[in-house]
Amino acid sequence: MAALRDGDFAALQILLKAPSKDAVRQLCQECFSSPPAALGPLAQRACPGLAVSAEEAEQLVSALHNLTRHVVYRGLTAPEDILRLFPENFHQNLKNLLTKIILENVSSWRNEAQASQISLPRLVDMDWRVDIKTSSDSIVRMAVPTCLLQLKIQEDAALCGNNPVVSALTVELSKETLDTMLEGLGRIRDQLSAVANK
Amino acid sequence: AFFRERLDLLLLHFIYVFASDRCCFSDGGGAADKIRLIPQDFFAELCEQIIQHLNHKIPGINTAELCQRIQTSGVDINIGDLAKVANTLSFLFSTAARNNLSTEELVTSLGSGVSTLPKHAVQVIRHVWNEQGKAIAVSEDATTTATVGQFVDMKWKLGVAMSSDTCRSLKYPYVTVTLTVADPSGQITDKSFEMTIPQFKNFVRQFKEMASVLETV
Repeated sequence: MAALRDGDFAALQILLKAPSKDAVRQLCQECFSSPPAALGPLAQRACPGLAVSAEEAEQLVSALHNLTRHVVYRGLTAPEDILRLFPENFHQNLKNLLTKIILENVSSWRNEAQASQISLPRLVDMDWRVDIKTSSDSIVRMAVPTCLLQLKIQEDAALCGNNPVVSALTVELSKETLDTMLEGLGRIRDQLSAVANK
Repeated sequence: AFFRERLDLLLLHFIYVFASDRCCFSDGGGAADKIRLIPQDFFAELCEQIIQHLNHKIPGINTAELCQRIQTSGVDINIGDLAKVANTLSFLFSTAARNNLSTEELVTSLGSGVSTLPKHAVQVIRHVWNEQGKAIAVSEDATTTATVGQFVDMKWKLGVAMSSDTCRSLKYPYVTVTLTVADPSGQITDKSFEMTIPQFKNFVRQFKEMASVLETV
């Protein structure tokens, strides 16, 4: 979990060597999205662009990761709250730039964090079809409507990394089972309204 | 002569089924080896569920739950193997039903040549078939043509994620659903997944749509 460490702000000042504001912006985004394990390779990629040593690049990337994740963790949205994080003697312009970049991104970063938190498998898609069974080996003529439902379920994103596993569940529902389902869903809706009104 | 012919064919059928070929188990053994592991009362319960499923009295066979209990009693059998045993027995009973075998005919075809089946298993099969086997009739119910899973039940939970290692204050509502489905072979499995609230609303809308189409079609 991202806790800001003493050396982090010193490391952040390495950004003063960055070629442009966009480069800083890009780096902030990459550092937030990267899981801790991937920070090493990220630092290696950032190194040449910044004209710093490998060690400095690592410290910087780690510091940016911690800072951005800390802001999202604490749910900071006001400029003052973010500015307050920086120590007194921190470079003014850099501080303002970083705060600006963070504010631009905090909302989408928060969504990203929510989407990648641990969870049960998630529903990603749902398709359905209504058929009429007209005949079978045991019954020559009939007209039974039936529903085929296919749910696409993605396993826990955190476990699959960049290759999410999606499985399909195909289920047949009759009118009766569909009504059971709707009843259950109706109850969830009632609960949702009750919770929303609190 | 016709009678004997039919019985001999079925006998060959059953030998084939209980030998390793038809159902390969993880350790290379056959169904009979696995059946030997299962204590008699659990085996009886399994046969009961299978017959009741074939009789459409229950929606499916609760392999997972039964396996859990068998394991707790100290028997080392995994769920994959139990599922294959269930499939084998299901095939046995439904074949016997289709050929209108009497209890004696069924037991005879099991007993001779297939000396691998433990005595207690044959006893259970005899008993279960005697009590309920004849009731397996060709169903008039159109929903028996199972080519995909059959929906059995839905359980749900509405939750709010308060906090996580990435966001201290989340307050993120979500719906968790567990669908109980009987697969084409009759075995019951659960599938759980999560939905966001907008997804859930869409989910409900789709189901209402399905229901209204089912009405009018």
